[in-house]
Amino acid sequence: MEILGPVFVAGITTGALYALATIGLSLVWGALGMLNMAHGAMLTIGGYAAFTLATWMGAPWPLAVLAPIVVGALVGAAIYALVAHPLLARAPRSFETNVIIATFGVAIALENAVLLIFGGQPFGQSIALSGNLQVAGVFIPWQNLLIVLVAFALMGATALFLARTRTGRAIRATAQNREAAQLMGVPVGRVYLQVLALSGGIAGTCGLLVSSITQLSPSLGADPMLKAFIMCVVAGLGNLPGAIAAAFVLALTEAFASYALGARWGFPLLLAIVILVLIWRPDGLFGRAAIRRL
Amino acid sequence: MSRADRGHLITAVIVLVLLVSLPFVVDSRYILGQVILALFYAIVASQWNLLFGFAGVFSLGQMALFAFGGYVTAMLGFYGGWSMWLAMPVGAIGTVIFSLIIGLACLRLAGAYVALLTLAVAQVMYLLIVTDTDCFVMQGATCRQFTGGAVGFARFGDLGTRALFKANYLTANYAIVVALFAVTMLFTWAVIRSPLGLAFQALRDNPGCAVARGINRFSTQLVVFGASAFFTGLAGGLYAAHFQAIGPGVLSLSTLMFIIAIAVVGGIGKLWGPLVGAVILVLADEGMREMGEFRTLGLGLIIAAAMVLMPRGVIGLVEGLVARFRPQPSQPDAAAPHAGTSHV
Amino acid sequence: MAEAALAIEGLVTGYDRRDVLAGISLSVPEGSLVTVVGPNGHGKSTLLRAISGLLPTRRGSIRLFGKPLGGLAPHAVAAAGVVHVPQGDMLFPEMTVHENLMMGAYLEQDHAMIERRLADVEALLPRLAERRGQLASSLSGGERRMVGIGRGLMMGGRVMLIDEPSLGLAPIIIEQVYQVIARLKESGRTILLVEENPARVADLADEIHLLDNGKVVWSGLPSVLLERDELLETYLGG
Repeated sequence: MEILGPVFVAGITTGALYALATIGLSLVWGALGMLNMAHGAMLTIGGYAAFTLATWMGAPWPLAVLAPIVVGALVGAAIYALVAHPLLARAPRSFETNVIIATFGVAIALENAVLLIFGGQPFGQSIALSGNLQVAGVFIPWQNLLIVLVAFALMGATALFLARTRTGRAIRATAQNREAAQLMGVPVGRVYLQVLALSGGIAGTCGLLVSSITQLSPSLGADPMLKAFIMCVVAGLGNLPGAIAAAFVLALTEAFASYALGARWGFPLLLAIVILVLIWRPDGLFGRAAIRRL
Repeated sequence: MSRADRGHLITAVIVLVLLVSLPFVVDSRYILGQVILALFYAIVASQWNLLFGFAGVFSLGQMALFAFGGYVTAMLGFYGGWSMWLAMPVGAIGTVIFSLIIGLACLRLAGAYVALLTLAVAQVMYLLIVTDTDCFVMQGATCRQFTGGAVGFARFGDLGTRALFKANYLTANYAIVVALFAVTMLFTWAVIRSPLGLAFQALRDNPGCAVARGINRFSTQLVVFGASAFFTGLAGGLYAAHFQAIGPGVLSLSTLMFIIAIAVVGGIGKLWGPLVGAVILVLADEGMREMGEFRTLGLGLIIAAAMVLMPRGVIGLVEGLVARFRPQPSQPDAAAPHAGTSHV
Repeated sequence: MAEAALAIEGLVTGYDRRDVLAGISLSVPEGSLVTVVGPNGHGKSTLLRAISGLLPTRRGSIRLFGKPLGGLAPHAVAAAGVVHVPQGDMLFPEMTVHENLMMGAYLEQDHAMIERRLADVEALLPRLAERRGQLASSLSGGERRMVGIGRGLMMGGRVMLIDEPSLGLAPIIIEQVYQVIARLKESGRTILLVEENPARVADLADEIHLLDNGKVVWSGLPSVLLERDELLETYLGG
């Protein structure tokens, strides 16, 4: 138990981070049918934005914490305006794949921009709590606890937003039946903008949190993004609660696999499991087969 | 012979003449080396283009297949002392088997899923190689990992051209690469024109009807996935044999992005797209060599901009302009062209 | 003469490069129920989709109380007062009945108005009140149809487009649906309704248009159409 405790703590923390990374992705996929390959870059930029404000500009920590949300949202909005919107307008039928390629390019460009501005050497995030708390003989770092709390708070807030507000309902409606939403008077273009901005804000925050227990580096967001994608796929793309559950289950699996077999086997084992799941259930564990509108 | 095929034949002859005459016209080993590199890129991109532009399979694992072929070739040479000429085809066949496993897992899923899973496979492959630290063999005083680790493999054999041609070995290698390129293009063209290619056309234009007539998307895609893996793996093996080195760098995201950029800029779904894209981008890369660190940034922006501004690529753009100035005889069921459909 | 609620002139529209409608002209006077019938695949749904903006107007015009609608995005057409109850319901499957109805009121900012409309809709369609919390995907065909109509009514609107309300329903349920439509007509709503078979709607409609191959081939009173066997035979299979 003494050994498994830290593994469990690590797994839950990572799960919370993956879940946060997953939300934005799942929302964007659900509403726009778009796989945003620049999602990881939004995470990275969020982390660096907080750092820039806190360390380079000496801003007080509330502002530094706000920065990733704002910057992330702006990047998300820009991706809508410059990439998603033109592609939807010009080549709607091949949108799904075109947008992957285009956002792929954006991701590379953003990652390298960060590399050029901040350099490739990883360094620590300045905004982080230090110290541990001890529960039943297991050391739980305060930062980990904070991460889990913030992640749950954000997930809860997002869930409330989607369920109770007019905008949230419009987003869900657009995701469930775009044409019907249009007929109800929902300005779908604006919804897309809102969803991408929202996903950017959440991703930015996630990046701040990730960098607080790992380090800031230009490829910070790449790994969480890939894992988040996989979790969405396992749950069935568009299934948000399923993806969050998958995030925790898979994070714990990865943690235990890393512990048992060695760190380098964590991700490969995860992938193997995912592939097996997908062979068994091609639409994901809970995904409904999309009705192909011919 | 159809008009399109006549166009292809003419283009093929022109390209071949240009390629064959290049070593006689140009004296620089550097330029020859760059053209070889461009051809390698074009070969891989042409297979990615075949998969995506024609068969509708969006795979981000092309480099995983390339690397597989390259690594198998290198390892057979390194551990087994095999001749490259034997190792390369074996590597290619191994790549086909590898690709079929991946294909079986991924191809029943929708487009985005395939992209993700193939990306994940490539990423895992990269990580497993780079984090391989256990010493497998000792080479003198140096520790060698089984997969070559972050350093990769070197000096495992060559094409035999140095021994035969001495100083002109580069030209000989060049000829071999051109030959592979020619064979690959022939294969690609053959697939497009085969019943398989027509099946893809049907699936693209009218999926419901195609499925009703018995065309199985999964098995047709799997066949192309495996077949294109052969040439990708073979290219990987030849790459390893020519450069006498292979490392995990081929699995990097920027290499993958370059390949996709080539296909996009040239024109997805166009037979000659990858060659056009390779020429343009290798030239652009040369030009951006001055920019040093801005190179990757530039490449990323080019791919994003090309996708958004010219979804049909350079060839598509040119075709569009030509069509505007020369009214085409109306074709009965010409569907509106857009990125992702073949317009061969 | 009072301005028609909906005036369509020479409308040409379609998908990809094909034109499905080859020049449609008809008008819907305020407070009337006009029906468009015809064999399937010949443009009835296309007409409604063009009016609500889901399809582009390639030639011709569509006017709502004189205001041109051509070129407006669907959400703008909805805001102008066009309520389109689409074919096959197109409900939001993972939302409850209540949430679906509330989506109908998306454009309405006045909460009191929304409450009033909800009360009216639930009075008209009592089953919806019973099934408030149920997910749309778990409803029966008839219930779904009612939710679709209710959702449309929540929009308020000035003109209602209804696409094949009898599609896929058992005869008893179709009766109920048409009873509701009759009540809507009585309350003074302007309705453009599309059906494959004119028999159902004959009693209610003020005017009927027969659409074939993208053109209106006959217009007149429903009672007259039902007597013209040759029309019924040729276009509607008797």
